[in-house]
Amino acid sequence: MRGSADRVHLLLRALALSLLAVAAAARAEDRPAVVVTNPNEHTFKAAVQEFAPGAPGLDVAHFRQDLVDALDFSGIFTSIDPGAFLGPKRTASLGSEPAITCPDWAQIGADALVQGETSAAAGGIAVDFLVWDVPRCRTPLRKRYTGSASDSRRIAKRVADDVVAAFTGKPGVASTELTFISSRSGSQEVWVMDADGGNQRQATRNRAINAFPSWTPDGSSILYMSYQYLRSPHLFRLVRSGSERPGRLFESLDSKAAVYRGVPDPSGQRIAAVVSVDGAPEIFVVDADGRNPRRLTHDPAIDVSPTWSPDGKRIAFVSDRAGSPNIYVMNDDGSNVKRLTFDGGYNAAPAWSPDGRWIAYEVRVGGQFDIWLIDPEGQTNAPLVTHPKSDENPTWAPDGRKLAFASTRRGRSDIYSIDVDGENLRRLTDGAGDNKMPSWGPYPR
Amino acid sequence: MRDRAREWIDADREDRREFRRWIALSVAGHALLLALLVWAPRPSSQAALPGAVMVDLVAMAVPASDAARPSRTPPPARTAPAAPIPPEPKPAPQQPAPPPPPTHEAVLPKEPQREPDKPKPSPKPEPKPEPEVAKAKPEPAPSPPKPEPPPKAPPAPDYDDVLSSLRAERGETRPERAPAPTAASPGAASAGAVAVTPEVAGWLRAARIAVRQAWALPAGFRNQPLETHVTVELDAQGNVLSEPRVTQRSGNPWYDESVVRAIQKASPLPRPPEAGSWPFVFRPEDLG
Repeated sequence: MRGSADRVHLLLRALALSLLAVAAAARAEDRPAVVVTNPNEHTFKAAVQEFAPGAPGLDVAHFRQDLVDALDFSGIFTSIDPGAFLGPKRTASLGSEPAITCPDWAQIGADALVQGETSAAAGGIAVDFLVWDVPRCRTPLRKRYTGSASDSRRIAKRVADDVVAAFTGKPGVASTELTFISSRSGSQEVWVMDADGGNQRQATRNRAINAFPSWTPDGSSILYMSYQYLRSPHLFRLVRSGSERPGRLFESLDSKAAVYRGVPDPSGQRIAAVVSVDGAPEIFVVDADGRNPRRLTHDPAIDVSPTWSPDGKRIAFVSDRAGSPNIYVMNDDGSNVKRLTFDGGYNAAPAWSPDGRWIAYEVRVGGQFDIWLIDPEGQTNAPLVTHPKSDENPTWAPDGRKLAFASTRRGRSDIYSIDVDGENLRRLTDGAGDNKMPSWGPYPR
Repeated sequence: MRDRAREWIDADREDRREFRRWIALSVAGHALLLALLVWAPRPSSQAALPGAVMVDLVAMAVPASDAARPSRTPPPARTAPAAPIPPEPKPAPQQPAPPPPPTHEAVLPKEPQREPDKPKPSPKPEPKPEPEVAKAKPEPAPSPPKPEPPPKAPPAPDYDDVLSSLRAERGETRPERAPAPTAASPGAASAGAVAVTPEVAGWLRAARIAVRQAWALPAGFRNQPLETHVTVELDAQGNVLSEPRVTQRSGNPWYDESVVRAIQKASPLPRPPEAGSWPFVFRPEDLG
């Protein structure tokens, strides 16, 4: 009896509480809303601790600097100077139940806190890290990387890219690579560098003319055009691992046909190629092994510079069929050709963004080139990079938040990167010679 | 830090300016109302204007707060997207200049480096190997009229947006709620609705500024039609008492998280007119 009375009492209390809750909710709706727009900050603020040491051969101060540099490169985060920290500058250790004093970090304006520890692991080092969402005092990410001690910079970049993903849903691109053409060795060779311009290394040494390098979507190889061995240009493949023989593609084509450029489609199954069989170059699609060529353009004019839409169903390209070079779009079978650009006397080098929203291209303004963005339907057209010197050959980072391009603003041509909102311009090459025709590679596997 | 202080000062000044405008408009509004009451030929005017005027005057608990708004809303011309330049729909290609000869054959060296073994230091012709169409064509520059770099493609704000923002600012999250009860039923209206008194209006602005300063949003989230509604539990001091509750998601969870983070980061907010739960609406871009 007593129990049932208690139960009734409890029930009534629950009822009353829920009624109160409903009343409170109703009140919130009856109140005028605070409408917040135009957020002040364009980057998240990150506090990065020095990771707890323990890995042989890994300098935690260097590691922290690499991580901070990669975060700043993202354009998504700005790191907070450790001098401002109220909490510890170094992670003591990541226990199984990591804890921090969130208000200490909130007070210095941190959106994120990155802490971690390094240790010895089979075959080298291990780096464990934790990302805190400071204002909410939560840890959206905890992860571990292993590698050799010489991989520490690579790991720092992966950590930075993961931190970006934890806050935006899409990883940063610090750990990606670009390929480009440089004349610094005396001939036009294919080179590769990290996205921040570090670790530049020469990929071809054939002393011939090489051009238009383009990554395969899995990042395992680079297609490029070269005059090596032959009197006419052909397409070659550079392979990252030794498992596949590099060499000439399209051997099934007429050997007299000049192949100027090959651009793999997003699936890696096909290549859009610029081939000159009987005079003017045309756009072909061939299988990834160079077989089964299908000709897409049939026009006495020049058709070049193909770029795939991210779904692989359309190709943008350059044609001078209307008198001057302009950007066109067609289906992947050559049907439904539509002209996209009408302004200016020279529009070229289209690059379709990974999210499909934009096609970046170069526009001649006066005697030089600027980079503009146009949407694939041709409705919106706006400048991205304008400078009195030439900016050419845009290429998108795989996150769609950055582009790289070649510019002569320093005299000789160099590769630069810029965020799609026009901020965060960086020069990536500073070597001698001309550096041009960048192609941004995919996310690392 | 000084920048932030300067922003606060500017915002404060703007507040005061707006307050003065508000007073002026309030006086004007009341005078107009009085004039209408005294002069207007009652029966015919009511018949002729059944909806708009009635609703407007009644719905405005504090008429001037609304009257002040339009001065901050965008002029009608702003409804067109600013940056994007629509391509001219030229049906025909531009002046049929003589097509440049396919120069690739001329540009490309016929005998490109046949001796791959010898490092030839001789001046190589700098070929643009892909048949680039001659860049030397003397054609007029496109002369793009807009030099600003960011490719802004904001969704064109239309009047519905502007209206809904005004309504949201008054606490009417849904346009359907707009028709307010008539003055004849004050009991129904005062059940829960909080009148936008000058004190409330001032707090709405102060809270907006405080949260805006704490809100970090990278470029990728801007220029997008994202809108998140959140209910925030505040004590009398403005402390955020619990994790803000998202009542309407934007569709982008990371955007929603940035919003919740901004509120937490801004705690304590300026002291609210009363403790309890307050609605917040977040949009990347102002319509004004």
